[in-house]
Amino acid sequence: MSYDIDFFYALRGIDQLLEGLKITLTLSAVSIIIGVTLGFVVCLLLMSRSRLLSFPAMTFIEIFRCTPALIQIVWIFYCVPMLFNVFLDPIVMGILALSLNLIAFNAEAYRAAIQSIPKAHLDASVALGLSPLQTQLYVILPQAVRLALPVLVTNGISIFQQSALVAIVAIEDLMYMGKMLSTETYRPIETFTLVALIYFAIALPAMFISNRLEKRLKVA
Amino acid sequence: MSYTVDFLFLANYWDALLNGLMTTLGITGLCLVLGLGLGFVVALMRLSQNVVVRSVSTVYVEFFRGTPVLIQLFWIFFCLPLVLGIEIGNFMSAVIALTLYMGAIVSETFRSSLRAIEKDQMDACVALGIGGFTKVIYVILPQAILRAIPTLLSNSVSLFKESALVSAVGMSDLMYIGQNISSITFKPVEMLTAVAVIYFLIAFPLTRSVSLLERKLIHKISL
Repeated sequence: MSYDIDFFYALRGIDQLLEGLKITLTLSAVSIIIGVTLGFVVCLLLMSRSRLLSFPAMTFIEIFRCTPALIQIVWIFYCVPMLFNVFLDPIVMGILALSLNLIAFNAEAYRAAIQSIPKAHLDASVALGLSPLQTQLYVILPQAVRLALPVLVTNGISIFQQSALVAIVAIEDLMYMGKMLSTETYRPIETFTLVALIYFAIALPAMFISNRLEKRLKVA
Repeated sequence: MSYTVDFLFLANYWDALLNGLMTTLGITGLCLVLGLGLGFVVALMRLSQNVVVRSVSTVYVEFFRGTPVLIQLFWIFFCLPLVLGIEIGNFMSAVIALTLYMGAIVSETFRSSLRAIEKDQMDACVALGIGGFTKVIYVILPQAILRAIPTLLSNSVSLFKESALVSAVGMSDLMYIGQNISSITFKPVEMLTAVAVIYFLIAFPLTRSVSLLERKLIHKISL
């Protein structure tokens, strides 16, 4: 059996793939925005002194960190409509699943960053008469974001890659389109290679930025 | 439409789930061992002085870290047989894909722990006349592994979680069996929750021990 590599068919389907890429990018971008902001909120809940706040936050984080992303996505897709009788757009469901996952990982990243801020800064805030909210906003948050940035970028890249999992529940993202195209054209090698290269082309600059950030932080 | 939750029926499918879990654990274990070996070799390759060796290993690591595991798995499952002209089946594809994935992330872990070994030790090796293979086995490897243990453990948890993907190429692992039973019995809520709980029960203690180990090791080596 011989297989002649011919990118003609894969490239003819490029419009289809680009449609998929749009969905992949939407899913990732929205999840990253939600993950970065709500991740910080969940982290604050986690670090709160009230057990009533910290316990649910911890449970949430551990559940999402300790189960496969695939089962989270499948669970949300099949069980949320059944349990709560809500029927959302598949893309909204995808965003929901991916951002819950990212919130959990980002909250951990923020926690590690906040814990590495020296305690003296808190004492200084008290000495300067800053209110707790001011302390969080002007002292903790800027430093936490800066320290957590490399990990946040890494988590963003991995949610971009995890977004390929939504193809399994038939959301028409890049992965799904690639799978369809490869079956339609009987050209798996070219299509899958092309799809992989598209993912790689987007992830590579982000990986480069995250490496840079990490090095800069080490110097600082 | 209302859905009544009934967890009792799970009792009938307990052994099927256990079977799936065994497959999941088997694949994870196998790829863990293979991936650790591959990752260590690749980490050494990336520190090599030879440009070709270094760039080949760098491209491998960056490519496998920069693309979704699902596409790696599909590529190997659908395309590798065409390229090689032989049948490899879903078990082999799953093992190859997860091993290559694990090798890539583990090599990064080893690389950063190797970089933490001070130059003095290399000088000491030269002074003692220890070279080549002996140096790698007796000086570099033990230290690299010790420092890398916490991260390696969390890499293993990632591998365990990623192994759920092999259900997409029809391996009957925990995920696959759970999904099948849930569609046969029309009870996705109970079934998928049970599967998630099983994954959680294994991954959670491991994740916890990562942070514990980190604290202990930091004391021990006092980095």
